[in-house]
Amino acid sequence: MTELHGADIAVEENDDVSRIQISGPLTVAEAGEAYARLEGVRAGKSRRLILDLAGVSAMDTTGAWLLHRFMREWRKAGSDVALDQASSEFTALIQQAESHDSGCPDHPRQPSLIIRELAALGAATVRVADRFGLLLAFFGLVLARFGRQIVHPRRIRWVALSNQMERIGLNALPIIGLMSFLIGLVLVQQGAFQLRKFGAEVFVVDLVSISTLRELGVLLTAIMVAGRSGSAFTAQIGTMRLTEEVDAMRTIGVDPVDTLVLPRMIALILLMPLLVFYASMIALIGAVLFAWASLDIPVDTFLARMRSTVTMNDFLVGMIKAPVFGMIIAVAGCFEGMQVSGDAASVGERTTISVVESIFMVIVLDAFFAVFFSAIGI
Amino acid sequence: MTGSPTSDDDIIIRVRGLRNQFDSQVVHDNLDLDIRRGEIIGIVGGSGTGKSVLLRSIIGLQTPADGTIEVLGYDARNLSEADAKELRRSWGVLFQNGALFTSLTVAENVQVPLREYYAMDERLLDELAAFKIALVGLPREAGEKYPSDLSGGMKKRAGLARALALDPKILFLDEPTAGLDPIGAAAIDDLVRRLRDTLGLTVFLITHDLDTLHSICDRIAVLAEKRVIAVAPMEELLEFQHPWVQEYFKGPRGRAAMQTQLDAGA
Repeated sequence: MTELHGADIAVEENDDVSRIQISGPLTVAEAGEAYARLEGVRAGKSRRLILDLAGVSAMDTTGAWLLHRFMREWRKAGSDVALDQASSEFTALIQQAESHDSGCPDHPRQPSLIIRELAALGAATVRVADRFGLLLAFFGLVLARFGRQIVHPRRIRWVALSNQMERIGLNALPIIGLMSFLIGLVLVQQGAFQLRKFGAEVFVVDLVSISTLRELGVLLTAIMVAGRSGSAFTAQIGTMRLTEEVDAMRTIGVDPVDTLVLPRMIALILLMPLLVFYASMIALIGAVLFAWASLDIPVDTFLARMRSTVTMNDFLVGMIKAPVFGMIIAVAGCFEGMQVSGDAASVGERTTISVVESIFMVIVLDAFFAVFFSAIGI
Repeated sequence: MTGSPTSDDDIIIRVRGLRNQFDSQVVHDNLDLDIRRGEIIGIVGGSGTGKSVLLRSIIGLQTPADGTIEVLGYDARNLSEADAKELRRSWGVLFQNGALFTSLTVAENVQVPLREYYAMDERLLDELAAFKIALVGLPREAGEKYPSDLSGGMKKRAGLARALALDPKILFLDEPTAGLDPIGAAAIDDLVRRLRDTLGLTVFLITHDLDTLHSICDRIAVLAEKRVIAVAPMEELLEFQHPWVQEYFKGPRGRAAMQTQLDAGA
């Protein structure tokens, strides 16, 4: 503010009396400067303080607060304080400030860094354990309801289910197809580049088809679905929690697990195998095309080689994981959505957590599957 | 109840020929409204008559289809950047649900406008925030809390504290007492009136609270039929022959509020 002239503050001391004359406006615009000037006057210098407000042209609550706190400091120092020539409005404003003085806002003393870090570590540990327990409980609840719906198929929300299937499955086809095609292509290119050194270029077929069918098709699809649909589950359910829609459902007697969680979970369990099959086939098509176009491996050679190395088991190993991963993604997404509380920031936070959590769990579980399958010799 | 303490020429907000529409739905058509310096004007109207839209038009959040809006002498629809800044510093707005910044504590929320416009010592900022928080009747501990830890009524008061941070000339309040308990609502009424009396604030108040209308509003503007059909002090409005106005003020709730007011006056 350029037109700021500030309040003029004149200090006059004689005998035991300090007389402080303030003139000009004393409002929020001048407060910063006036505060600094008043701070420059040491409180309790005299036994008596007289604040002369004759020259004050305007005052607002901020200005009144400044005067109040100044007088408060002097009183604390043991001086008598009086206002002189204050209009009734100014007096009222200052009294208002005085009656709303709740004491200085105190900042509690911080404990030492080590204590704080230890406390944070402890709190984080408890939180992780807590959340794991909650997730397990939620998983149990969902499984129980899932069982009930299988026994009583009439309870299934068919409209919600087909709606979810369209969003999760049909709408995901282009992006999953493109991703898989490129992955198949890159695998052949990179594999062939390495195998060429041994003159074993044709083994690229084994590499691509087995890795795609057993691992890559299902893992990449799971990651894509977690990012695309798992995050959407959390955001949708989380927003419904914020707007109290979930609470409204409960009070009406509509079960949120039945209506919100199960359609999403069933849709993912049904769709993941289809999406994984689709992704694997597209990846193989990408591989065949690239091998033919750039490595001069004819399509029938590729297919013959594939037929002799790939077994049905390779295909089944990939497919059997698909519904399990789908279930994990759905449960994690919905669970985090249900955990949303408080404000909008919580939705974003939970969405991030849900995606990280589901991808992490998918990869950990995939490792378990790998160990298990090699143990039983598949 | 006396009328506005200022003369009729002292118009602080002047709305002329305002037209607001969303697609084909016309909310305001040829709406005129004058607000005088230092008055508390209550805006009433049924649901969907565009009370909030009128507020948003005046403070520049909604671009009207037509009409002129003059606030503190500025043409609110054609402002230079500097004028816009000056104007925004002269008003405080309380939104319906408080509209507090969720990532900041209540005290920090109150300090946002102060920090934006003025250079102030941290200690003074802390004190001023605590003062404004106490002024709106929040307990001292509320300052360190985040909006998500507050109840709806507390959020509203915290929003009011933020609106008051700059000691504005005009205060826009969108349903300040809705959702508050009667004691809290009366305290807000009292605070608004006291601020008006001591600081000469002009208050633009959207409300459905008949007690508020009776006890603190100098004039009441009634929105209906896409315009302001009447602006008058309560006593005159009671005589105004319009079915909605009669129903509103003379319905069972209106009569109860009137009785309370009479008892208090007696």
